[in-house]
Amino acid sequence: MFRHNTLRYVALILLAAGALFQAFTAEYFGLEILTEILILAMLVLALDIVAGFGGMVSLCHGALMGGGAYAYAIFTTKAGIAPPVAMAGAIALTGAAAWVIGAIGSRSHGIYFIMATLAFGQMAYSYVFETPIFGGDDGLGGISRLDLSFIGVDLNDSRSFALFCLAVLGTVYGTSVVILRSGLGRSLTGVMHNEQRMRALGLTVWRVKADVFGLSGMIAGLAGALAAQHIMYISPGLLSWTVSGEALVVVILGGLGTLVGPLIGAAAFVVLKHELSSVTTYWHLVVGVILIAVVMSRANGIFGWIEARWGDRLDRRLADATRKTEEVLTDA
Amino acid sequence: MLETRNLDKSFGAVHVTRNVSLKLERGERRVILGPNGAGKTTLFNQLVGELTPDSGSVHLAGEDVTALPVAKRARRGLSRSYQKNTLFDGLTVEENLGLAAAVHTGHATRLWSDSLSKPEVREIVGEVAEQVKLMPFLHAKVSEISYGVRRQLEVGVALATRPLVLLMDEPTSGVGPEMSKGFHDLLNNLPRDLTMLIIEHDMDLAFDVADTITVLNYGEVVFDGLPEKARGSSLLKEIYLGSWENA
Ligand SMILES: Nc1ncnc2c1ncn2[C@@H]1O[C@H](COP(=O)(O)OP(=O)(O)OP(=O)(O)O)[C@@H](O)[C@H]1O
Ligand SMILES: [Mg+2]
Repeated sequence: MFRHNTLRYVALILLAAGALFQAFTAEYFGLEILTEILILAMLVLALDIVAGFGGMVSLCHGALMGGGAYAYAIFTTKAGIAPPVAMAGAIALTGAAAWVIGAIGSRSHGIYFIMATLAFGQMAYSYVFETPIFGGDDGLGGISRLDLSFIGVDLNDSRSFALFCLAVLGTVYGTSVVILRSGLGRSLTGVMHNEQRMRALGLTVWRVKADVFGLSGMIAGLAGALAAQHIMYISPGLLSWTVSGEALVVVILGGLGTLVGPLIGAAAFVVLKHELSSVTTYWHLVVGVILIAVVMSRANGIFGWIEARWGDRLDRRLADATRKTEEVLTDA
Repeated sequence: MLETRNLDKSFGAVHVTRNVSLKLERGERRVILGPNGAGKTTLFNQLVGELTPDSGSVHLAGEDVTALPVAKRARRGLSRSYQKNTLFDGLTVEENLGLAAAVHTGHATRLWSDSLSKPEVREIVGEVAEQVKLMPFLHAKVSEISYGVRRQLEVGVALATRPLVLLMDEPTSGVGPEMSKGFHDLLNNLPRDLTMLIIEHDMDLAFDVADTITVLNYGEVVFDGLPEKARGSSLLKEIYLGSWENA
């Protein structure tokens, strides 16, 4: 069951402070990297909800994100729909697609579920690739960002856009927590631990899986709509299964089923990618070695490792401190 | 309350349920006895819908539920515990009970509120924990409690859906005689209007709780009646001697 502990709050505060610091002090390139991290963070939160709390390891989240990006691009550039409406439409569309994938996939488990999601993702990829309106290999350009000038914010400015994405990520995190702490989220975790028993208790298991997968798809779609606005140009590569694979790597690197871990994973992954790729073209190799080290260490990712060491200790310290303060206060 | 008519099931050449007709009245406590492999668990699986019978029907509260899936039967008041613990292992005792109570109260699929902190859910969790003596263990994880306590939780989870009919598959299997006795006292203290079907190996303990007894052998009902009658029957003596093959 998802719950926050002191360590998680501390990590969240540090992450937020780090992002804010970066957003206010960095130059153009640093801001681009920050935005890339923030958008990836949304995608991996979406993935962690289903994989870490529902056991539904998905290889179509990249395609869902790409779908959101294309939907936003088509809605705004071809259909002339206003950006806010286009974003809402993109989110609704990917949510619906994810719901259907979740419903169909709900009967399969483990490797079969992964393969089913991979198949859906590949179908979306080839559909986008082959359909002329999507621009084929050339992709689509000229995508505009949301217009927030009515509150005096110009999102075409990198700093403003990064801050905007940070605010959205904060909202997405809050939403993820709400989902996981809801009856639906609790039931999903129950299903992950023992599907047979949940069914025997009277739960319509496929509906719970589909509903949460749909919600997760909405978040992925939102990330996609923002990615389209960020780069202002999109290509089918966005829907490639390697994007899903990378997201999965980030979740596992950060700590599956911890929600906070994947945020750390996203930051580590993007920074590593940029730092390493400027030094060597073999940066994937290095990431691979790190991933193997993390997996072999049997810890649940970077954050899982930290939590196993300091999670409880921090909670106990805090409890002791509160008790002592209370004693002092009552004595006084 | 719960009835089967001419239930029949084979796995290939193995005929595991032979023309089984049972009838449980409301509040009846029936114990199913029978040697290993008699088809007791398979019968349960057909009652709850985890297995489909080849022929025959299952009726719950007067309605034919043979075609209903597991979850729907459960929501109509049929609940079971398993012979082999089927719990939410990584979760606490409280969460195990809470998940079940959440389904019963309709909070299990809501997005805007936490099922586990709902007053109705917490109330059921408290009541059930009291009923199956789990109060001291509420915050322990399943992995931290002893096997015997897990057996109590196994029944507790089934009870937390507030069923009309409770099926228990060898609730005391694997626990010592002391604890087993306590278990039966616990069953005797459950509400009188709860209909119970209990698979049990130990005859003495079975007589402790049974209103009626059914004996299965090779998938067939070979005895159905009052415990006093069963006690005198030569058939059950055979169980004591463990020589069913000659029965
Ligand atoms: N899914 C299955 N496929 C094939 N055979 C099965 C299956 N399930 C049970 N059987 C067989 O059906 C027979 C009855 O099994 P069942 O588990 O119902 O017995 P039981 O009375 O519960 O025994 P025990 O007291 O050991 O629990 C056994 O011979 C078993 O091997
Ligand atoms: Mg059995």
